[in-house]
Amino acid sequence: MSSNTPQDLPSDEELAQMSRDDLVKLGAKLDGVELVEYPDPWPVKGTRAEKRAERAVALWFLIAALAGFAFIGVFLFWPHAYTAPNTDGYFAYSLFTPLLGATLGLSVLAVGIGALMYTKKFIPHEVAVQQRNDSGSSELDKATILAELADAGDRSTIARRSLIKRSAGLGAGAMGLGIGVFALGGLVRDPWAQTESKDSLWHTGWKHDKPGEKVFLRRATGHAHEVSLVRPEDLSAGAMETVFPFRESEREDEHALSKALKRSDNPVMLIRLRSEDGRKVVKHQGQEDFNYGDYYAYTKICSHLGCPTSLYEDATNRILCPCHQSQFDALAYAKPIFGPATRKLAQLPIAVDEETGYFIARSDFIEPVGPAFWERKS
Amino acid sequence: MTKKQRSHTKGRRRIAGLLALGFALMTLGLLYSALAPQPQVAQAQGDPAALRRGEQVYNNTCISCHGTNLEGVTDRGPALIGVGEASVYFQTATGRMPATRQEAQIERKPAKLSPEDIDALMAFIQSKGGGTTLPEESGKQLVGDNPARGGELFRLNCASCHNFTGRGGALSSGKFAPKLDGVSETEIYAAMLVGPQNMPTFSDRQLSPAEKKDIIAYVKSVTDGNNNPGGNPIGGLGPQSEGLIAFIVGMAALVGITLWIGAKS
Repeated sequence: MSSNTPQDLPSDEELAQMSRDDLVKLGAKLDGVELVEYPDPWPVKGTRAEKRAERAVALWFLIAALAGFAFIGVFLFWPHAYTAPNTDGYFAYSLFTPLLGATLGLSVLAVGIGALMYTKKFIPHEVAVQQRNDSGSSELDKATILAELADAGDRSTIARRSLIKRSAGLGAGAMGLGIGVFALGGLVRDPWAQTESKDSLWHTGWKHDKPGEKVFLRRATGHAHEVSLVRPEDLSAGAMETVFPFRESEREDEHALSKALKRSDNPVMLIRLRSEDGRKVVKHQGQEDFNYGDYYAYTKICSHLGCPTSLYEDATNRILCPCHQSQFDALAYAKPIFGPATRKLAQLPIAVDEETGYFIARSDFIEPVGPAFWERKS
Repeated sequence: MTKKQRSHTKGRRRIAGLLALGFALMTLGLLYSALAPQPQVAQAQGDPAALRRGEQVYNNTCISCHGTNLEGVTDRGPALIGVGEASVYFQTATGRMPATRQEAQIERKPAKLSPEDIDALMAFIQSKGGGTTLPEESGKQLVGDNPARGGELFRLNCASCHNFTGRGGALSSGKFAPKLDGVSETEIYAAMLVGPQNMPTFSDRQLSPAEKKDIIAYVKSVTDGNNNPGGNPIGGLGPQSEGLIAFIVGMAALVGITLWIGAKS
């Protein structure tokens, strides 16, 4: 600092003589700060007001301690196992989480308030003035720093070591290229390429792995590994059921069974129309035999943005999407009749297996499921 | 033989005769009930007095929209032949029937008919073509013991319209799925069985009685002020209202604390 000329500084002997107060003032002065006012908040020691302030601070720390212990107690001993409403012990259980929050929250708050109160009551409220340096660096500083930088570059001898320059450029360049490939690589591979795998984007979990394989319609029962297949008589007229694909080869495979319920393009709405409504159905060209009597199977994935369109109105035979209010007509190949969706819901061809009497899917969807499939024909 | 002994044997013979007669009558009765041809038409299960009372209730409150022979009236009310007692119970116990006017959706209101009238009307409609019946159990007996599984099934089958915690939601053209607060266990069960208005039907083969009871257990655990540990559900709408309240209350608290910290003591 230009204001601190060497002659202001005390000599070693003077330094040894200085009191702590003087050292504090000197330190502030060296930083360009002048302490205008530095009062002791309690000039008379041991007054009742001082004692009271001390007790108030201690009280908050005490509250923090009690709340902290209460938190530990609640955490260890309060009944926390799930208890259903309308049964004994539900009230106590329902207080578990709020009590955890309240006790720990109070503890944290009380520590904070205690610390703040201590600062307010006992730390001196000094008034300090610091000189502000408005102008930029001095010409001297600018000239010297430029010289130092140029000197450092010169002394590194990088200018005449072309081997290091080139190899460093190569290394850094290859590293940058790697990062670029990492970022762009996912965009280069064509995820839409035609493949025969059922995991490709052209197919859903309903695709038959091999010819002649039976893919059954399976309902979810709340147990991921339970296999409950659907017969025609299971659905009353005006019923809708969500079904998932099942293959006999998966019966013992718990991973496959639970995965089938979770794959995003698997859910299919199996709808049984009332027979008087079934007579009014208009079928899509090329999909005239996709239904089984009054049973129609449509994907649950909205053709607009892929929300689950499972709001089925059984009196109006409309299928609604809750996200953007698209509506589809179940009596006319699930074509969109309202809202932003512009394409029909994909229809799954179904039949009843003659051996077992359960519904089976005759093939995968013949049209893409879900939103905005590129270059879609239908 | 003494006189006393003789009267004793006489009494015994009389008892034996009575027993034989009783046995013969019982056999005849059993044979009759086994061999008599079963009536091919649906028979009223209730007693004739209840049927008469049910017909009376029907003629007083339902006939103008559902027709003299339950055949329905065009643009007013559907046919009631074969709808069954479960449907009658749901519609009348929730006060939806008798309806006050034709509208997009008939809403729940206090029941107009007394429980006795509802029972009589159920018997009367059931006698006309049968239909879905209520389960034997009612009330608390319909609450299953696995609300967690009920929740899974509720989210799969019901939540798309009724919301995850039974808050209800909008359907097309002014219709809506009602919220499930204050709905009795029997009413929920009946609604699943018959699918009133635009609700799909869930037969016992689609959702077994045990599954229905678990669903009821879940519904009961999240409605009527349950599942509400914070004290106020603020609409039960999820993050929107909760975030807004947290922002407003939290901001006010932070501003207050900041002012206090900065204030001179």
